[in-house]
Amino acid sequence: MTRKLCALALSLAMLLSLAGVAGADIPSELPRNETLYFAGQQWGAVLSWNIFGANQNNSLVIGGGAASRVIYFETLYMWNDLDGQLYPLLAQGEPVWNDEGTEITVKINPAAHFNNGEPVTANDVVAVWDAHVKYQTGTGVNGSTYISAVEAIDDGTVVFKAVLNDEGKPINPLELPNQICQLRITSAAWIAALDEKAGGDQDAFKNDPAYDIVASGPYAGSYYTDETKIVLERDDNYWGVALWGKLPAPKYLAHIFYADNAAGRAALEAGEVDVSQQFNSDVEKMWLEKGLPISTYIDEPPYQLGLVQPSAIYNLNIPVLNELAVRKAIAIAVDYDQINANAMTHQSATFEQVPRSLFNTTEGQQAAYDHDAVKDLQWAGKDIEGAKALLDEAGIVDSDGDGWREYNGEKITLNAVCPNGWSDWQASMEVVAATGKEIGVEITTFYPEAAEFYAVFQNPDQTQYAIYMQSIGGSGPTYPWNSIRQAMSGEFVGQQNNGSGNWGQYVNPHVDEIIAAIPQTSDEAELKALYTEAVQIYLTDIPSFQLMYRPSLFHTVNESVWTNYPEQGDEYGYPPNDLTDGYGVGALYELELVNP
Amino acid sequence: MRNTLRQASHSANFMIGFVLIIAILIMVGVYPLFNPGSPLDMIGLGTFFKPGMYISMYDAAETAPSYTLRIDGAAAKRIDAKLPQSDRESMKRWLTAYGVPEDAIDVDDLNDLLNLWHNTYDEDARPAGLTSAFRRSVARIDAALDGLLEPLDVRVYTRDPQSGEMNETARIRDDQFINVSEVVTTRRLWLGTDNFGRDAFKELLAATGVSLKIGLIAGLIATALGLMLGLLSGFVGGLVDDIIMFFANLFTVIPGFVLLILISYSIGQEQRGATVVAAVIGCTSWVWTTRSVRAQTISLRNRDHVNLSRLSGHTLPRILATDILPYIASYVVMALILQICSGILAEAQLSMLGLGPKTTETPTLGLMMFWGMTYAAHQNGAWWAYFPVILMIALVSFSMNLMNTGLDQVFNPQLRS
Amino acid sequence: MKGYRKYFLKKLFWFAITLIAAVILNFALPRMMPSDPIATITQRVTEGMNNQNAVMQIYREYARKFGTDQPMWKQFFIYIGNLLKGDMGVSFQQYPRKVSDIVAASVVWTIALQLPAILVGWMIGNLLGALAAYLRKGFDKALVPISLFISGLPAFGLAVTLLVIFGITLKWLPISGGYSYDMLPSFSWRFIKSVIIHYQMPFWSIVLIAIGGQAIGMRSMSIYELNADYVKYSRFLGVKDRKVVGYVFRNAMLPQVTGLALSIGTMIGGALVAETIFSYPGLGSTIMGGITSADYPLISGVTLIITVMVLTMSFAIEMLYGVIDPRVKAAQSE
Repeated sequence: MTRKLCALALSLAMLLSLAGVAGADIPSELPRNETLYFAGQQWGAVLSWNIFGANQNNSLVIGGGAASRVIYFETLYMWNDLDGQLYPLLAQGEPVWNDEGTEITVKINPAAHFNNGEPVTANDVVAVWDAHVKYQTGTGVNGSTYISAVEAIDDGTVVFKAVLNDEGKPINPLELPNQICQLRITSAAWIAALDEKAGGDQDAFKNDPAYDIVASGPYAGSYYTDETKIVLERDDNYWGVALWGKLPAPKYLAHIFYADNAAGRAALEAGEVDVSQQFNSDVEKMWLEKGLPISTYIDEPPYQLGLVQPSAIYNLNIPVLNELAVRKAIAIAVDYDQINANAMTHQSATFEQVPRSLFNTTEGQQAAYDHDAVKDLQWAGKDIEGAKALLDEAGIVDSDGDGWREYNGEKITLNAVCPNGWSDWQASMEVVAATGKEIGVEITTFYPEAAEFYAVFQNPDQTQYAIYMQSIGGSGPTYPWNSIRQAMSGEFVGQQNNGSGNWGQYVNPHVDEIIAAIPQTSDEAELKALYTEAVQIYLTDIPSFQLMYRPSLFHTVNESVWTNYPEQGDEYGYPPNDLTDGYGVGALYELELVNP
Repeated sequence: MRNTLRQASHSANFMIGFVLIIAILIMVGVYPLFNPGSPLDMIGLGTFFKPGMYISMYDAAETAPSYTLRIDGAAAKRIDAKLPQSDRESMKRWLTAYGVPEDAIDVDDLNDLLNLWHNTYDEDARPAGLTSAFRRSVARIDAALDGLLEPLDVRVYTRDPQSGEMNETARIRDDQFINVSEVVTTRRLWLGTDNFGRDAFKELLAATGVSLKIGLIAGLIATALGLMLGLLSGFVGGLVDDIIMFFANLFTVIPGFVLLILISYSIGQEQRGATVVAAVIGCTSWVWTTRSVRAQTISLRNRDHVNLSRLSGHTLPRILATDILPYIASYVVMALILQICSGILAEAQLSMLGLGPKTTETPTLGLMMFWGMTYAAHQNGAWWAYFPVILMIALVSFSMNLMNTGLDQVFNPQLRS
Repeated sequence: MKGYRKYFLKKLFWFAITLIAAVILNFALPRMMPSDPIATITQRVTEGMNNQNAVMQIYREYARKFGTDQPMWKQFFIYIGNLLKGDMGVSFQQYPRKVSDIVAASVVWTIALQLPAILVGWMIGNLLGALAAYLRKGFDKALVPISLFISGLPAFGLAVTLLVIFGITLKWLPISGGYSYDMLPSFSWRFIKSVIIHYQMPFWSIVLIAIGGQAIGMRSMSIYELNADYVKYSRFLGVKDRKVVGYVFRNAMLPQVTGLALSIGTMIGGALVAETIFSYPGLGSTIMGGITSADYPLISGVTLIITVMVLTMSFAIEMLYGVIDPRVKAAQSE
């Protein structure tokens, strides 16, 4: 009796605490074969639906980089990580540069309408942009460096005007398509209403949770969210039937907020999750040993599409790291196979498969530079003898016989740092530290909490962290140029709160010239020469070095309920973006039930 | 004192606990002699190798003498291992989905099945109703089928360093065996490897040593602090008592564990050696010892011999040392054991949260647990990477608690059964 | 009654001092951590932004919004001022959510999990302990080592073992969350059933450990009491055994009740392991999240709640003892 009472009280308490935010008529039990479950995209409760806010923590709805998450809000174009092209979504046809190369014209798909039935027009695009600029959002502040104005020519045509340099050219032509494909569109009327409600107050405008925001995406039908989950319902009146030919297969998209990777992984194995964006260590054991219907985009190692390069950054404020011999010795001595096998559990391409440059593993980026020209500079790792010889040659030796080398009479002690809880990064730092022991340079690992980590390494004068991890590279209209910039650009030197690039304070004016030249260059051969030279400099000076390749989204699926997910070499060619981002969203339309 | 020890040695509980602890200590001390080298060496390229005997394939093929043993059923065993019944069912399922009539497939007739398979299977086909995971598993079965029925000899070729020619140096028939004891390089991994490819058994013992050390330091600090403050507070009373109890209360209202986390965090991992972590644990866990010692002291302070001592003008430290301490000594020893125990647990919990001692030199039990969980050992069935750690912590604290119970019975005869 | 009033006032004075000191510590300790919460937030919201000045601008805006650009003493007085108005501030990490909202949402889960678990563990443990003391012999011989072993298990060890056995290997119980993944909270029997099933593992992982400790304590106390002079005397006088045993266990319970009150006060800190391993929402995971992201207002808020709970509980106990236990009174009137 007491037990029953207890249970009743308990459920009641939970109901009260879970005062969820619901749109309309989502059933209290989601039919399993109409729902697609995600894991690893969203952690913790949703804070806001406001695309102008700064801290929505609503990543199933507002997320992604150049390949934007387009299931709720939509962008004009979808980025495809595989071929590096933009595909029209709300737009119709290609973005068109004018003859002077100073502005881009985009046509809007006349079929497009919002979930309230209103058509999507050029005015909506203009209103979104103007609100970003007016309310100084991240997009507005950052984007207006490159875009001077967005104007509507008529209801169906919008023009993005570039900010020009002294020579009358855009200061960075790569940034225009980059900004355009990340611009989420909501309606001008909704913005005007919020504007009025906020009365011009910036915080009021940005902090409005925007539960009623208008969107045009396939899952902008209705939603439910509380402390533990979010559910999006398909808009059966979605305009995109005109574009895709049909509605996406699942009626609901749902995401449980798992406490950690272990919980999300268990749910994936139990078939409670269909698409997992988590790093699942030893993922192949799920099908090889347990026989579960789980698969990744690629059947063989590296299983995932490597788009970014987690790298070890050398802090050049530390005198001993200004010695090229030391930088090179550590870089060539590290056992990258060990990192791949034990930290990434074989979910990274090896440096034999994709030799180190500055670029990710996609064909497009690999074609950017001349492989033969840098062949002699690329190293495979685990070259302990070579590293020792380098150090000996530079006069950095162990003179007091304690097993550790000295520099200027003092024992070299370096730390290898990354945020606590980032397991594969931490494991990589352990391997780097183990390398130090073998070449007589003491390296100790250090895992501060993320908050502390960012506070320290973003200070340009810091000497607390010697070797620390950051990701270089990515996928989007500004890449692979942006990879070079992140690795070596002088613009970041001495900058406070620098989270953007060249954290180690590397200075090389010649590289800065290359970085300035690439966006303005259109000749293929000339571009290739510039990229090749940048890679040569990078591999010679070693201001940082890649430890592995890593996907920007992990893509692991369970086929207990749904099947026909994207896989390498299939007939559809959708990138493995968890069916939510950029061009990868197309895979949602091809899903089929295993047992219809 | 000697009397107490003799009594203690008669207590079964105490002796069992004591023997357990000593056994653990001996293992910790002795095993490294047989298996030298750093417990943190990453020997395995890959995660969570299973426990067992690892023999060098290279040595087995190159140097170990081979023997011919005709063992019945070896071939059948190999075939079963390569193509178990479940795989044959999978083949059948694929064939059916591909359009082969179900009665044309006989999974028990291996020859027939293989023939049908070789003539039908197409790796690029995507028969309707089959998931990608299933198609891929069938492709793996297909790859394992070659040479299944007529075992081909395994041939070993080596490249001549001068000419670059490939020469056959060994040819291995399916009835050839080697004697494991004649293989030059073998390694017994009692508990397999962890996620870094470290020898988990060796690491476990090294970690136990460190954890015991941390527990001991933490326990000593906590007990010393608790004893001192408790004696002062209980004996002197008044304002001193109020102030000490104020601090004790302060440590109670901010939960010890949260305090521990915040302090460990503030120190920063850079400074967090094993000793520092032990000291931090000790400094945050003195409170209950203080309270108990205080209570005991209060009950003692008005005894006649204490009053006598006070009247004789003895100094405070002397009174505490000669008139109070001996009466609560037994209690303090028990408190110490409990503090050591909770020190070990506290370290383990801290490390589980990633706030333990910095890691490059020494493993600790908590850290092993942390990495095991981080790399999903419990979900991969890699019990050896986390369960022995739990068991070890439980064993250490069990044996200490047992010793404590034994002592309790010695000091409080009523408890004896 | 005059003595009691003096005792009461004195206790109240020290509790007030403790509360003030704890509030100061709750404020200061998180802020001593060597990190910069603004840097983390900026990092997150500027992901993919290429303009360094824009990033700086956002950083400064947050610093202004959260007041971290003010000197520490000023921040403290703002904090105290708000606290007196019942406002615990705005979380940094979950900006613009209020700390009180976050705490309210998670404290329900913690209490729902911990309170019954502590009570059940306490009751079963005491029952077993008392039985062992009364029956002795085989029961006692088995109970002592088992209880010792279980109470020596690290909390996470027991939780993980339960998880692996019942969740992963046998698949009897769900391994994470507060209710089934395919449900939305509703007032239906299926939902309630799902809540109960998800409740089992975190619940028992706490109960089992509590049982061990309580049983040992109760056993010792009961044995002391059973051998006390008054028991021998009563028996000598021919008082019925049942009656004597009743007295004995009532006396033995007293310290156990204190322990119960205190463990209810400290339950929030104890929830951490069960909550993290079973992904059960609650204050433990909230405070850990706060610590990793240096969310000062959130950490201060949660520790404040704990402080107040523990203080209230121990104040209540001491007051109660002042009334019912003559020994305490005697000690105070010295």
